[in-house]
Amino acid sequence: MKSIQARLSVGLVSVMVVVCVVLAQISLWLFELGLQRYLEAGLRNESESLLIALVKGPNGLQLDEHRLTPAYQRPFSGHYFRIDFEQGHWRSRSLWDLKLPEPGAAGLHANFQLGKTEQSLLLLQTDYRRFGQDISITVAQDYTPVRASFLRVQQVGLALGLAALALILALQRITVSRALRPLEKAREQISQLQQGKRSQLDEQVPLELEPLVSQINHLLIHTEDSLKRSRNALGNLGHALKTPLAVLVSATSSPQLDAQPVLRKTLLDQLEHIQQRLVRELNRARLSGDALPGAHFDCDAELEGLLATLRMIHGEHLELAVRVTPGLLLPWDREDVLELLGNLLDNACKWADSEVTLTIGEQNNGVYLLIDDDGPGIPETQRDEVLSRGARLDEQVNGHGLGLGIVRDIVHAWGGQLHLLTSPLGGLQIRIDLPDGSSVN
Amino acid sequence: MRLLLVEDHVPLADELIAGLGRQGYAVDWLADGRDAVHQGATEPYDLIILDLGLPGVPGLQVLEQWRSSGLATPVLVLTARGSWSERIEGLKAGADDYLTKPFHPEELQLRIQALLRRSHGLANQPRLESAGLHLDEGRQCVTREGVDIQLTSAEFRLLRYFMHHPEQILSKSHLAEHLYDGENERDSNVIEVHVNHLRRKLGKAVVETRRGQGYRFGGTPA
Repeated sequence: MKSIQARLSVGLVSVMVVVCVVLAQISLWLFELGLQRYLEAGLRNESESLLIALVKGPNGLQLDEHRLTPAYQRPFSGHYFRIDFEQGHWRSRSLWDLKLPEPGAAGLHANFQLGKTEQSLLLLQTDYRRFGQDISITVAQDYTPVRASFLRVQQVGLALGLAALALILALQRITVSRALRPLEKAREQISQLQQGKRSQLDEQVPLELEPLVSQINHLLIHTEDSLKRSRNALGNLGHALKTPLAVLVSATSSPQLDAQPVLRKTLLDQLEHIQQRLVRELNRARLSGDALPGAHFDCDAELEGLLATLRMIHGEHLELAVRVTPGLLLPWDREDVLELLGNLLDNACKWADSEVTLTIGEQNNGVYLLIDDDGPGIPETQRDEVLSRGARLDEQVNGHGLGLGIVRDIVHAWGGQLHLLTSPLGGLQIRIDLPDGSSVN
Repeated sequence: MRLLLVEDHVPLADELIAGLGRQGYAVDWLADGRDAVHQGATEPYDLIILDLGLPGVPGLQVLEQWRSSGLATPVLVLTARGSWSERIEGLKAGADDYLTKPFHPEELQLRIQALLRRSHGLANQPRLESAGLHLDEGRQCVTREGVDIQLTSAEFRLLRYFMHHPEQILSKSHLAEHLYDGENERDSNVIEVHVNHLRRKLGKAVVETRRGQGYRFGGTPA
């Protein structure tokens, strides 16, 4: 989609150009017409004074030279005449050796070229009858200076028009960007929302945006609520199913079953199966993915508790080290991140001899997690197998596989990648590359 | 060893009480959070097994109240909610270990044993060892210099308690409080009888009598 700014600019420019050009042309045309009318009156005057200058002499008609304007005497002065009558014609001296164009009909005519000169003529041909003779008088005036000034006016007008257009565009840009600033702010807040840096949009917005913003906020609250509700419901379901399951598992070790080792084993196997499937499915269903835009995981605040828990579970002999950029926020739900890190670190602690390291860092378009241990590691040839173990829910998985299965589900839900590598500490390195929340569709 | 089990699900509690009883633990059982707050803080338990989903007061609050009133008894939390965030919350509230339902009874027993050893400063021992004796809690027998010595259930309970508290003077009433649950009669003469049995099986020096004070296990022979 094009930006609103660009659309407004294009629309405004095209309207402005069309309107200005049409207006300018029409007004120029009207002005020229008016000017020609004015000049016509002058020419008619000239024509009539020429008529008056015609006198009846002894040899028929004569032109009284004294009554003529001096401009008719100077060559190419810009004022010309030609008088046609029955016996012949007279031309003004100013025409020199050139012929005045003949318009052919009476009236005002423009745009006649005078011979090879640059002069463009405005001609007025008038027919009279005097002394019983038909007399046609054509007076002409050089129109070129007027033309030239019109051209200059046009050029100046064009330049002014362009400058005005540029100014208007600049002003419009400022106005629009001012008017759209709330939109820009809302856009920024939405991107913050996606990065988990805020949980609600600011309600202080212009009237036009208010319904949109309040609707988004409403949706956010609604999503959060329903997610919480469904998580609670799942938790309750888990509780409801797991306690009876615990009774059954516990019952298998009762002395009454001592005589039935096969039955006991079958029961235990199947109960184990149910339990693992239950745990995995509950986790999978619980995974919120990126459904909660306001959710985020504050590494500084949360990792301490997680490490304390792991130390408590695995004893103090393990060296648990964390390398995390201070103040790093991960744009995912706190519980999901804890589930991911908890399972991975728990696994690493189980296998490590003395050292486990967690590294979280930012890379160009996301976050990477490294979990290193100094345990036995996994040979390169078996890594694919370990990764695919627990991929299918109905597969028999042991503790290792189940945790990794949940991790795989989480990483998959976030659109990330999971790799098993060799750690510099000597054991296994699990590398997880996660794309930034904002780049996930 | 006397344990408090706080669990509202009766069938599970029955199973656990039966299983723990077979392991030689004296178990008191409560199903309500409000009772647990009071009884956990007043009776001298060696360990408390606490379910988080309780009527009355939720398990986490019970735990917080115990800890804020200065109760130091190790608490093993049982819960169906096994997510890591809940586990962290539980341990922040003061739990010492966390077991997710459903679990194997052996898992629970191992956790209880480990927790008891840890709370008595005997961490990271696969077996309970003290004064040259190795106690196998699974088989309920004791090994000295590679020779297995069979014990009765009562002897096993007594020896286990002694081995958790080596070189400490333990009065008869203290022993009775920690070996029998709240409903059984506590006859201090019974303790005397079992101590004599232990002396007969393991040698006179194993338990020393401090007149007027009580018994002392694993001290240097006088």
